[in-house]
Amino acid sequence: MSVAHDSPTSDHALLRVCNASKQFAPSLSFGDHIAVWLGQEIDQRIVHAVDGVSLTLHRGEVLGLVGESGCGKSTLGRMMAGIYPASQGNIRLDGVPVMGAGKKPLKTTTRIQMVFQDPFASLDPRVRVGETIGEGPLFHGLVNAADLKAYVTHWLETVGLPAEAADRFPHQFSGGQRQRVAIARALAMQPDVLICDEPVASLDVSIQAQIINLFLKLKHELKLTMLFISHDLGVIRHITDNIAIMYLGRIVERGPTLDVYENPKHPYTRALLDSIPRLVTEGDELVVFKAIDGELPSPLAPPPGCHFHLRCPHAQEICKTRVPDFEDQPSPPVSGHDVACHFPLG
Amino acid sequence: MKKILLEVEGLSTHFMTRNGVLKAVNDVSFTLHEGEIIGLVGESGSGKSVTGFSILGLVDAPGQIVAGSVRLQGRELIGMAEPELRTVRGREISMVFQDPSTTLNPVLSIGTQMRLALAAHETVSRQAADTRCADVLNKVGIPDAARRLDYFPHQFSGGMRQRVAIAIALLNHPKLIICDEPTTALDVSIQAQILLQMKTLAQDFGTAMIWISHDLSTVSSVASQLLVMYAGRIIESGPARDLLRIPNHPYTHGLLGSLPEHARPGQPLEQIPGQMPSLIDLGSECAFLSRCTKSDSLCHTSPTLRSDGSRRVRCHHPIAGDWH
Repeated sequence: MSVAHDSPTSDHALLRVCNASKQFAPSLSFGDHIAVWLGQEIDQRIVHAVDGVSLTLHRGEVLGLVGESGCGKSTLGRMMAGIYPASQGNIRLDGVPVMGAGKKPLKTTTRIQMVFQDPFASLDPRVRVGETIGEGPLFHGLVNAADLKAYVTHWLETVGLPAEAADRFPHQFSGGQRQRVAIARALAMQPDVLICDEPVASLDVSIQAQIINLFLKLKHELKLTMLFISHDLGVIRHITDNIAIMYLGRIVERGPTLDVYENPKHPYTRALLDSIPRLVTEGDELVVFKAIDGELPSPLAPPPGCHFHLRCPHAQEICKTRVPDFEDQPSPPVSGHDVACHFPLG
Repeated sequence: MKKILLEVEGLSTHFMTRNGVLKAVNDVSFTLHEGEIIGLVGESGSGKSVTGFSILGLVDAPGQIVAGSVRLQGRELIGMAEPELRTVRGREISMVFQDPSTTLNPVLSIGTQMRLALAAHETVSRQAADTRCADVLNKVGIPDAARRLDYFPHQFSGGMRQRVAIAIALLNHPKLIICDEPTTALDVSIQAQILLQMKTLAQDFGTAMIWISHDLSTVSSVASQLLVMYAGRIIESGPARDLLRIPNHPYTHGLLGSLPEHARPGQPLEQIPGQMPSLIDLGSECAFLSRCTKSDSLCHTSPTLRSDGSRRVRCHHPIAGDWH
């Protein structure tokens, strides 16, 4: 699609996630610490939120990250934004790790910014919108105090809000307008990468269309590189160049968006696409959708082997023991569409 | 022709707020036949949920049903005494709410909650009650139901909790279930399972349903009739298939156009500009006026709901059709 500096197929990735994992362990209570000290075994329930994920994001690319709730897509997004440190593996922006080292690592760059799902929770209700947008750029020296007003106005207008909006508080805006403010706040930091975590999920359909159009406009005008996290396959299809499908902490399929939609290779992707109710009518009948059996297993105790084997209609013995890998495929993937499955579809 | 189950006529529910009268539901009329599934679609604030609550008399102060009638098989529900209304709720009309984690009582096992729902309407022995509860749980797709009666809501996943809520709604074999966005909080794969199951259950039990949702695609996969609401009024209604193929109201048209699946990927979506007006200062003009591309001077007077037989539309300039 629109390519700013590098072609998406070139080897030069802007953001590279390399074999990254994230586990969350509950912190031990005082009693638990003593029990451990006395040699007791404590049942530490570790959540394997993200499990050995590798991804690359090229300049100008919009990558969609799709999955059901609990699959780890938001955690991965936050790791890429430098909010959560990776437990294993690393995430680099232009070769530089996005987070520093140490026990409590901090984000090292302002070049990655994030837009969150709920604009009612992500904006400080006591701070005027102009200050919300201007605070970061001022602190990081992207603009000096004299030019701040014009700078804020510029970004407000970019997202389709009037200049007067700067003097108002978040509660004076509707949901769609608040999301515009949140986008302006992220853009004002002049990021190279924008990470959007379900940015339209909490909006009404007609407002959702307005925000999707805003993202399309920004994508073309600012040549934004974006990671677009969503469970809504219709939105993802519309806005992204490439997608990665995630299931219980792992990427199971990745490739160019239209290619994956038309020719899904992983049984999970197929099932997910089949389960969306659609409005498209075929002849006289509404297209009937199918449901996947079962539910997402608990990330506290993920099943061995392929995580999807419990729900998969094609599962065989090997699926129960061996984790499928992207490298397992007999032939090299065409056009970057590959799948982690022992028995990929057609 | 099937018998008429529910007749809603001129229903208006207003909220007396400090800032003025908020007209959440305004002159809503529709009929529902036995075993029919009707979809009530609209954006947030369009009055679709309040319509559902009003049918069951579940509107609290400052809300008030100010006009209209709701007749269940000829029996008027508006103004019915509370004790009598309680025999209707849960037995003849039951309701499934959006968020199953807040509608189930967290400190009672689901068996206890289900037995209470049964005991509210009839006297049954503990054993018979358990059999019936387990039976209904099985029907909504909860395996090993007899043992799970002792489970508490937190031991179920979100999808399973919603199944329990649906099972409770089905328990007394109601004639009508009002479903208020029952799948919105769930994932697509679980949503698909529940949609299919609800549809089959409705057919098996002959239960009619009012399916309230903001999601046109979800509703259209279960409902045969659609009612589209905007700013507290029904602005269009008709058989689901026809309405989706040829929407007559500019709002419905815009709503369908703003769905990504109707556009070429990467192309700007057709968008409805602006947002819904405040329900407090609705004037005498068409509520969609400020967002409509087809408006003219005529639209400064509120349009009436016109019918062509199977379909109704509230617009001075409907897109197609012969209206009276």
